[in-house]
Parts: sequence; C-alpha cells; structure tokens
Amino acid sequence: MATINPRFGEELKKYGAFDFNACYNCGNCTAVCSLSTEDDSFPREMVRFSVLGLEDDIKSSLKPWLCYYCGECTTNCPRTAYPGELMMSLRRWLTSVYDWTGLSGLLYKSLPLSIFAFILAALGVIIFSVQEKFDLATIMHYGHYFEMYAILTVFGVILLPNIIRMWWFVILKPEIKVSFKNYLSGFWELMVHMFTQKRALGCDDNQLRWFEHFILVIGYLGLLFTTVVLDWFSSGSLFITVLGYLLSIIVFTITVIFVSERIRKKKELSKFSQPSDWLFVIWLFLMGLSAFGVRVFIDTKILENNIWIYLLHLIILVQWALIIVPFGKWTHFLYRSFAMYFAKLR
Amino acid sequence: MNKKLGVYICHCGGNISDYVDVEKVRQSVEKEEGVFLAKTTMFACGDSNQKEMVEDIKSNHLDGVVVASCSPKLHLLTFRAVTERGDLNKYNYVHANIREQASWAHSDDKAGATEKAIHIVKAAIAKVRYAESLVPIKISSIKSVAIIGGGVAGMKAAIELSDLGCQVYLIEREYFVGGRVSQWDTLFTTNETGKELVTRLYNDLAKRKNITVYTGTEVISNSGSIGDFKLKVKITPRYIKEKCNQGELQNAIDACPVEVPDDFNFNITSRKAIYHNFPGEYPQSPVIDTKNCTRCGACEKICENVDFSQKEEIKEINAGSVLMATGFDPYTPADGEFGYNLYNNVVTLPQLKRMIDLSDNTLKFKGREIKNIVYIYCVGSRQVEGENKYCSRYCCTSAIHVAITAKKKFRDIYNFHFNRGIRTYGKQEVLYDESSKMGDIYLQSYEDDPPVVTSQNGKTIVKINDILTGKKELEVEADLIVLVTGMVPRKDNSVGSLFKLPKGRDKFFNEIHMKLRPVETVIDGITISGACQGPKNIMETVNSALSAAAKSYSYVSKGVLELEPIIARIDKSLCTWCNACSKACPFDAVKMEEDKTKAYAVINNSVCKGCGMCLPVCPTDAINLIAYSNSEIESMIDALA
Repeated sequence: MATINPRFGEELKKYGAFDFNACYNCGNCTAVCSLSTEDDSFPREMVRFSVLGLEDDIKSSLKPWLCYYCGECTTNCPRTAYPGELMMSLRRWLTSVYDWTGLSGLLYKSLPLSIFAFILAALGVIIFSVQEKFDLATIMHYGHYFEMYAILTVFGVILLPNIIRMWWFVILKPEIKVSFKNYLSGFWELMVHMFTQKRALGCDDNQLRWFEHFILVIGYLGLLFTTVVLDWFSSGSLFITVLGYLLSIIVFTITVIFVSERIRKKKELSKFSQPSDWLFVIWLFLMGLSAFGVRVFIDTKILENNIWIYLLHLIILVQWALIIVPFGKWTHFLYRSFAMYFAKLR
Repeated sequence: MNKKLGVYICHCGGNISDYVDVEKVRQSVEKEEGVFLAKTTMFACGDSNQKEMVEDIKSNHLDGVVVASCSPKLHLLTFRAVTERGDLNKYNYVHANIREQASWAHSDDKAGATEKAIHIVKAAIAKVRYAESLVPIKISSIKSVAIIGGGVAGMKAAIELSDLGCQVYLIEREYFVGGRVSQWDTLFTTNETGKELVTRLYNDLAKRKNITVYTGTEVISNSGSIGDFKLKVKITPRYIKEKCNQGELQNAIDACPVEVPDDFNFNITSRKAIYHNFPGEYPQSPVIDTKNCTRCGACEKICENVDFSQKEEIKEINAGSVLMATGFDPYTPADGEFGYNLYNNVVTLPQLKRMIDLSDNTLKFKGREIKNIVYIYCVGSRQVEGENKYCSRYCCTSAIHVAITAKKKFRDIYNFHFNRGIRTYGKQEVLYDESSKMGDIYLQSYEDDPPVVTSQNGKTIVKINDILTGKKELEVEADLIVLVTGMVPRKDNSVGSLFKLPKGRDKFFNEIHMKLRPVETVIDGITISGACQGPKNIMETVNSALSAAAKSYSYVSKGVLELEPIIARIDKSLCTWCNACSKACPFDAVKMEEDKTKAYAVINNSVCKGCGMCLPVCPTDAINLIAYSNSEIESMIDALA
C-alpha cells in the first residue's frame, strides 16, 4: 500500500524536472532505451513513480543511476514529457536525499544560496591571505595542506556517511539479503565502473562522448594525484612537470567541449542545464586552467610578482572542494559507480 | 390470362453459367405458357442488355418480364426501372435468383444446379402471370412538425424546420426550455456556458413566427400516422400571469414556506414551491409547482400576478411528422455503489458541476473545504454486471473538463482520475493533455478489479490496483468522491410507448440503420435526435437534430407522400372481426370499423408496411397481401414442386 502524493511533483520541479505529468504511460521511452532491461526497466516506471509521488519507491530504486542520458526517450516521447530530464532531476533529488547534512538539497534548489556559498569560500581565502600578508610561500604551503585535509575530511565526514545512507535506502531498508562474500566479489565491479563508466557505452552512438568523459575523469584524477601526492607546484622533476601540464590541458580542453555543448543545446543531454550543471563544468574548467596558469607562472618565474594567479586558483580549489565535491554534481562520480555495485549485489 | 412474357437468363460472367447450363434453362422455359421470348445474356445488368430489354418490351408489347440472375437485393430495382423505361408498370417485373440460390449454392452439382434454376425460373414465370399494375399509395401530408423535447436538440431542429417553412410545435414537459444544457455552466472545448447556448437558441426561436413553444406540456395521446399525426397535449398552467413585476415576485418567492429538493441542482440545494431555476432563463416567468404547493396563499397576498384560477388545458396538434428529442437522465448510482448514499462525501459528476457553478471562492461540501477530489469513471456505463454495456461517450471529457475548471477556479485542488481507459476522442484530446500537464493524476484499473471506497476514522480512502504502476495497490484520501455517471434513457419514457417506438438493447430509442438511416424509426414519419437515441455530447446532439429535421422535412415538404403499394388488403365480406390481425400487427395498422351489418377490420394504408404478419392468423382467410396473394404463392409452389 502506498499513498499518492501529488505534492511531490512540485518538489521535484525545483530539481529541474518539468512536464513529466504529461506522461500517459505509453512506454515508448522504455522501449527505445538501450540500457533498459526486462528486470530493470526504465524510465517509464520512474516517471510514473514521480507523478504519483511514491518517494519511498524512488529512494529504494537504483534506476535513476542506471540511466546515462542519451536522450532517446525524450526524442521519442509522444507527449513531450521529457523523461530523460526527469531521470536527471531524480539523480539530483536522490543526491540530496543521500546527503545527511541536507545542504545538497538547499544548494540544488537555490541559486542565490549557491552564489552566497561561493562568495563565502572566496572571502575565506582572501581573509586568510590578508592575515598571512600575501606571503606566497606560506599560502602555497597551506594550500597544499588544505588539499590533502579537505579530501580526507570531505570523504570521511560527508561522502562516506552518504554512501552508507544510499546503502541503507537501497539494500538494508528494502530488506535485501546480501552475503558478505557477494560484497567482496562485487567490489571489482565497483572499481571498473568508477574508473571506466563502461555502462555508458551501452547508450547508442555514445562512443565519442564516453571517450571524452573517460579522458576527463582520468585527467581530473591524474591532476589530483599530481598536485596532492606528487606536489606538482613544488616539484623539480621534469616528468612530473610535464605530466601536470598534460593533465591540466586535458581537463580544460574537454570541459570546454562540454560547456560549448551545453551552450549550443544540440543534444538532449545538454539542452537543459541547471545551475549545478554549469557550476560543475565551469569550475572544473577553471581548475584545470588556473592550475596550468600557476605552473606556467612558476616556470616563467613571474609568480612572485603575480601572486594573484595562485590566489585565484586557491579560491577555485576551495569552492570546488568544499561545495561542489561534497554537495554538488561531483558526487555522481561515487553514486553512479556504487549504484552499479549495489545493483550487482541485488 | 393471355400475357406476353419476356424471360432473360443471365450468365453473370460465369458466376452462373459455370455451374448452371443457362442454355438448357432457356430451352426448358421457352415453351412455358405465355412466354413470348426467352433469351440468355452475358450480363443482364449491362447497358447493352438493358437497352435490348427496353426495345423488346416496347416492340413486342410484353405484359410481364422475368430476369433470372443474382439476388434481388442487388438488381431488383435495376430491372424494375428497365421495365418502366419499356412503358410497362414496374410491378409487372419478377426477379428470379439463380446465382445465390442455384449456381453458388450447388457448385459441386452442375446437373442439380441447372435443375433447380429451371424450377426457380418457372416459379417466377408463374408469379408474373398474376402480376398487376400497381400505383403508389398517395396520402396528403400536413406541412407541420411536432418536436417533443425542448432541449438543445429540439430547439435547434425547430429553428431549422421553421427556416424551411414548416409550422413547428415545440413541446416541452418542463416549465423551462433548454433541458440538460441549461443546467451546465462552462462546456467543454468552447468554454461557453450552457445558459449562453440556450439563450442564443431561445432568442432565435422567439424571432420566428411559425414556431409555437409549449412548456409544462405533455403529449397524452396520438391517433394519427405519417402525414397527419393527431396529438393530444395537456398544458399545465404556470399560475403566474404573463406580465409580472420582478421585485414583487421575488418577495413572493421569499415568502413561500414550502422547501423541496431542487432537481435543477440535482438535489444539492432546495427551492420553493414558487420558483424559477435561475434568473434569466426561458421563458422568463416563474412558476408554481402545484404538486408541492400547499395553497397557503402567502404568495398571493404579496404578488397580484399569482393566479390560481388558471386551468389545465387539453389541446390538439396536427403534424405531418414527429421529431423526438426527449433526451436522457444521468445514471443514478445504486445505494452503496462506490459509497453512494453510504458516505456523506460521495456525489455524482452533474452534482459536482452544479456545486462548482454555485460556489464562489472555495469549494465546500457540507461545510468542509474540498482539496482532494477523486473521480471514479464509468459509473453506470460499460457495466460488467449491470445492463448498461455501452460507453456514455461524454463522461471522460466532461469529468476532465470539470477537473480543470475546479483546479482553475479554486486553490489547492488535486484531481485523481480513477479510470478504465480515457476516451477523450477527437478534438477533446487537448483537454486530457491540459489536465495531465496541470498535474492531474490518472490511475487505471480493469473492469473486473474496480477501485474500492472505504471509510477509516472518518476519512474516506479510495484504493486501486493501478495497472499503470504494475498493479501496485495505491490509495488516496478523498475529500470528495465524484462518480462519473453515464447517460441512461429517461426514467419516464411513456411518450415513446405512446408512439410504439422500438427501443434497442440499451433501452434508448432505436434507429432503422445505425449508419445509413440514423434518425429514422420503423414508425413512418417519426424521427429521433439527440440523447434519446443514445449517449451523445452537445455537438453530436446538434448534428443529429439537424439531420432529423431534414428527414422530418422530407415527409412533409411536398404536401403529398408516396408509399409502397404492397400492403395487406381485407376482404370485408369474409372478415368477422376477431381482432387476431390487429393483435399480430407490429405497426398498429389495423383498426375496427362498423357499418349497419357488421364489424370488420380496416387497414391504415399509410401505416401498413406489407410485412404479412396478419395473414396467417386470420381464421377466415380474409386478408391478402398485394403482390403476394394466395393464388400467386400457390402457383409458385406448384411450379417448384
């Protein structure tokens, strides 16, 4: 027994969904979806749950994460109910459901609040720099430490509890029995999907996009590793220096492609962008570009006189690490791969 | 009896001649008594053969013609016409069917088929020997039409017939015209109100001098038939003088102590014994409902226009044709059907429509504000157990239109449509689109697993196994449950029985042919239009009203009607009036007449259809059917034997 709640639709609209009420359940969307299977059929069912406001059913479902948004469903919808965009909005909503702090939801729903948070983070960096009298060495030293501690804290305090909450919603609460052995044996699946997103290849004509995304993920993780572990900005090794350049170039060129796609709105995937989508790609682009700039300034030995470039990079980094990673779109990196893992367990 | 007969035997391409030896048939019949010429032809219906036949008939002065070919359904009229072109009365033509009855039926037995064909042709020759020239029966027809029912169908038909130059009598049982449509506020797809439609029609009616409108009037008897229906009507007075002072009348209404449920508002409100349904309806004069009036005299003291001296009146109306437009009743759910009369927040769709119309800012029912409205569809239509197997057509669209209206007019309304498949056919589909985009929720079940209405702790819960959600059991708490009721025939349909109008399995009046003769009935001169024939929306009702008007006009336009002469004939000398034929007649065409010597039966020529039902029941064999007399049939049987 489930109670219908038409007010849920109103909430979902704040996460970017629209017109999904027009659905008359023909099922064309599910029929054309190349990822939908008999056991895991979507998106029609998700549209139906959303219309009826069956929150518990959506919370315990992994289907929103199983969709990689090729947009075929939206193209073929006879009622222009935008099922693809609904699935996207459900992912945003689920992100806020998994987040124990509740901040994800607030930031997704309110652009002014997001801007306020970004300004706050920037002010923090500036105030810190003023306190340190704009001493480059000290600031870069703390900047490096910030990176390391921010990663550990965000992961330990926000992301890990959120993953556990996701686990509770999709495995424990629906009382699905999973043996310890399965938890172990499924782990390989988690790694594969986390680093390759191979499921996205199942979408029709998606090879190029998958490749771009794959390279971006490798570039981003590589750049993270190079700056945090190999300490790119302080390293004298030619190999590390060149590697850092290469990875940062990958990050900002691929993100330029993604941003331009969102501007041109040719693909279903990039037609409707929420602030969270823009912030994610633009900040990733700025990160790559500013990191590249900092290292160029170091190598041309003009950083001492142009400390602003490092401050800019640090501001972007802090905003990224404290807002976008724990509460923004970054989390899809984790939830998507864990969804594949939990799906395997089920 | 020296008739010169012409016989033609058709090959029908090979349809006949592949199995029947047509030449042998020709040879076998050419020596028959009276046969002047016998020919075979490749296609009897072909142009060249038709011309040849006309020549043969004219030059040889033939007295009778037989064509042995296909079914008379296909070409009887063709060869009757050929006969006429040969200057011979068309009733001297007899058709023999040797295709369906011989060649096709016995394609495995050529000799047998030929043998049978010979007999069939000989029987036709036997019949044609008796053929006589007949002329159509001509009766005069009064150029006036009586329309029964003053709703949109009746009013629209009246205007149309008036413009064609007919005298029109529009007879309405209620005191006000407009019927069901006057009860509705906004209507689907145009958003005009029912009152606006009725106003427009009434103004059009009032302009026309050849329309007489009778309100409060019932037909009590009919003694005529096509061309001259003689209707007796009973006119109940309004007990209010024609011209009246509105202010005083309102005071009189206020003073009336009687309160009765108001059926104009489907009993959700009450009215006085002196009343009008709403200001500005037609005719614009209130009425005293004497069934409920206690004659206390309160109104009389206030208003001088109240006049209890008015008397019931019986009037006779003569009309060439009768157009039925008596409409429908909304289905009344059974006690307990989806909680009807069981829980206090279950209403019907017409009731909700009146509630919305009568409410201003908030939608309240019995003092409670309404937010969640559950609509249960197909109540009284598409019944699994009950007799109403039909779809009522208007209700899906109407329910959705009402839901949209409620959502737009009042705040925080949530609509839940518990349906069995939405049928907003045609242009009405846009409403379904609009409603779902507005956030209305549609839930669907099969007929064998309907939604269930229960009451828990004072809350009314509706449950459904929704087939759109994998038959998941879903529930919603309803502030108001609306039963989307279909259309049923009028509870009091006595006016139909008065004319012996046949009803279909659905109990609505029946047309002759759904597709080709959709407004005619088997009772000549009576047409049907609107929802008395079956569920229709306003658009479909007006379509059928205009079509019935055209058909009724065709009965009266020329002043004279030609009827088929093949009817029953009574031999007065043999008749002993036992009443058996009158009882057997399905069309009420036999009446008793008396002269000095005896009582005997008389056939009403304009009503008899020549069906022959009266013939076998006559104990004295006093009845003959023209063109099918005993001697004709017996001679055919002899030829076949």
